[in-house]
Amino acid sequence: MTWDITGMAAVANIGTSPREIFAALCAGQESRKPLKAFDPDKYRATHAYEIDDRPESGGDIPRRATRWLTTVVRQAVADAGLDEDLSQVPVLVGTTMREQRSLELWWRAHAEVALDDLHFGTALKETFGASTTYTFANACSATLYALAMATDMIELGMADTVVVAGTDAATESGFGTLDRVQNDIPDALRPFDATHKGMLMGEGAAAVVVQRAGTGNGPVHARVRGVSMNCDAHHATAPDPDGITRAVRDAYSRAGVRAEDIDLVMLHGSGTPRNDSTESSVLRHIFQGAKTGPRMTAIKAMTGHTLGGSGLLSLVMAVLAMKEGTVPPVLGLTDPISEAAGLGLVQGFPAAGDLTIAQIDAFGFGGINAVAIVEAAR
Amino acid sequence: MSATSTAHMRNPNAREVVVTGIGLALPGVATYGDLLGPLPGEGIFDPATGLSGRELRHKDRASRLALRAAGFALHDAGLTDADATFTGVADSTAVVVSTNLGNVDSVCEATDTIARAGVMGLSPLGLPQTSSNVIAGWVAIRYRLRGPNLTVCNGVTSGLDALSWARNLIVAGRAEAAVVVGVEPANDVVTKVLGEQSTDAAVAVVLEPADAAASRGARPRATITGYARARNLAAALVSAGVTEEESVGLWLVDEAGARSGHLLAATRRIDLEAQLGPLSGALGVLQCAAAAAHLESGATGNVLATAGGPRHDATGALLLTPWPAIRPSTQERGQHP
Repeated sequence: MTWDITGMAAVANIGTSPREIFAALCAGQESRKPLKAFDPDKYRATHAYEIDDRPESGGDIPRRATRWLTTVVRQAVADAGLDEDLSQVPVLVGTTMREQRSLELWWRAHAEVALDDLHFGTALKETFGASTTYTFANACSATLYALAMATDMIELGMADTVVVAGTDAATESGFGTLDRVQNDIPDALRPFDATHKGMLMGEGAAAVVVQRAGTGNGPVHARVRGVSMNCDAHHATAPDPDGITRAVRDAYSRAGVRAEDIDLVMLHGSGTPRNDSTESSVLRHIFQGAKTGPRMTAIKAMTGHTLGGSGLLSLVMAVLAMKEGTVPPVLGLTDPISEAAGLGLVQGFPAAGDLTIAQIDAFGFGGINAVAIVEAAR
Repeated sequence: MSATSTAHMRNPNAREVVVTGIGLALPGVATYGDLLGPLPGEGIFDPATGLSGRELRHKDRASRLALRAAGFALHDAGLTDADATFTGVADSTAVVVSTNLGNVDSVCEATDTIARAGVMGLSPLGLPQTSSNVIAGWVAIRYRLRGPNLTVCNGVTSGLDALSWARNLIVAGRAEAAVVVGVEPANDVVTKVLGEQSTDAAVAVVLEPADAAASRGARPRATITGYARARNLAAALVSAGVTEEESVGLWLVDEAGARSGHLLAATRRIDLEAQLGPLSGALGVLQCAAAAAHLESGATGNVLATAGGPRHDATGALLLTPWPAIRPSTQERGQHP
């Protein structure tokens, strides 16, 4: 069974549509900015990849993640040629932080925030009349987990159309604790480069419309072949090669593909030494028998880590890469870590290629992994 | 878009999924049989002593509560040995956690610390609980459960939603069993968010396919038969397959359902929150435990659990029925797309 992706939308620091973001990734201009969201005096980290839409007067406002979410859902539904009334369409939202930034503003600055604002169903009901809505707080694999469950719903006959989306705004608690635990504070997110020091947060949202094959109104952007999800059950925050290997192999099995069929890998690439070495080692092992390994890229070098939505944002970029026959480079990658030797990491300039099947990795805190296999629609 | 696109979670062709274990870490309630009232009663769980121990060190309160409840449920299901080691199929056992407020204390306290002392005032051990999925991660790590690991933070319907998603994971073949935990901690931040005194509450249930449960000799307590999350109670009941002819012997309500003059007016109703305090993400899973108590007691009729309503973004409904062996007919009713 395959599933059609008939609508896509995304917003990030480097663009307000999938095309804008993809063009920025291909142009490869430095995108990190000095930290604006929080009082920089309180943090060691000085940079982030924020969406710069806070008030001119300074300070932060609640419900930015919710606003991005409703924006991308509206755009993805329109892109699929569907009505904005989602009263009969399930909406699955993956997120790391939910509206915890709003909670912080309520706690510290008395912002008007209600308990029901913490999950996204409240806004989806108000905006689209949607009731079959779910907020999954599944860390940084959340949106690919949600995609997997959307394909299950269609396969089980529970729906023909499902909207899958993700959103996250940076939180003080998350940004701050991350700052606290990183020994060598990164001034940029440099996945797989020998100079990588760690992760810096980004902000963003993405949405796709997934439909039972052949039931959509408009053109099909790409086809989902299969999505795996599992848990390392190993460590609260560090990745585990065994769990990631199982997730990759399960995704291949569900999609009916072999390693040598993969043309493009959208890496999780969070820029932490632990992630990068673990992900590289697993993929070297997976692709060691393949004649010419796939091209690989890591968009967090330009978007920062957009957390729950990052997997879906990578997927949307994979779809555009397959359409364009172009893989954006990993910004700032000049000296790959030794574990990544032999991997087809794209450096410097976009790489041209005939791309049919893409693998998208997303790994999160709690050792939760999800891997999606997507095929070009031609 | 046709009406058949609505999520119907009552599929007559699907594998039946049953409850095979229940565990509580809930002050004032000793066993799930007590949930039928009166409450609170003579509890055996005391958070002051029940949340200590080496394996609970450095964990947030919600995770500690959840680990206790999950341990009791797995033991009750016969899936742990004398050393409390999991004996089931770890690679295909899922963890599904429902919580709305599990880590809000960690989040808000971190902002206070940063304001007072900057990031170096934070404890590095606090990193996991900045993410809302911390609880599910610790449960998986404790029992080495490597199947899907899902955290549902979906407002008042969360617990019912979590049960349905756990069932979906099993029916879709992604998991052979699931531990579903509903948990909320008591602390000052939660009390302020809720606007009323918060309570420690954790409840876990083990779900398995009926055939697998039968073949390993497990004791099923209830079948998860129908579910919906819909715009209002009437729509939720229809989508969950609860008709006016449905033989509902017990209706587990929340505040909205308790006031409702809806059909099933004559059915016995229990509002667990009216007796135990706000349960939020723990409510639906606790309702499932209460449903099992009703069905095991020999009382007549199926059990309906509902949560949400006009003051929220949706109404959730879950229908629980006796397990296949004692049911007069295993043929399910209700619609299917």
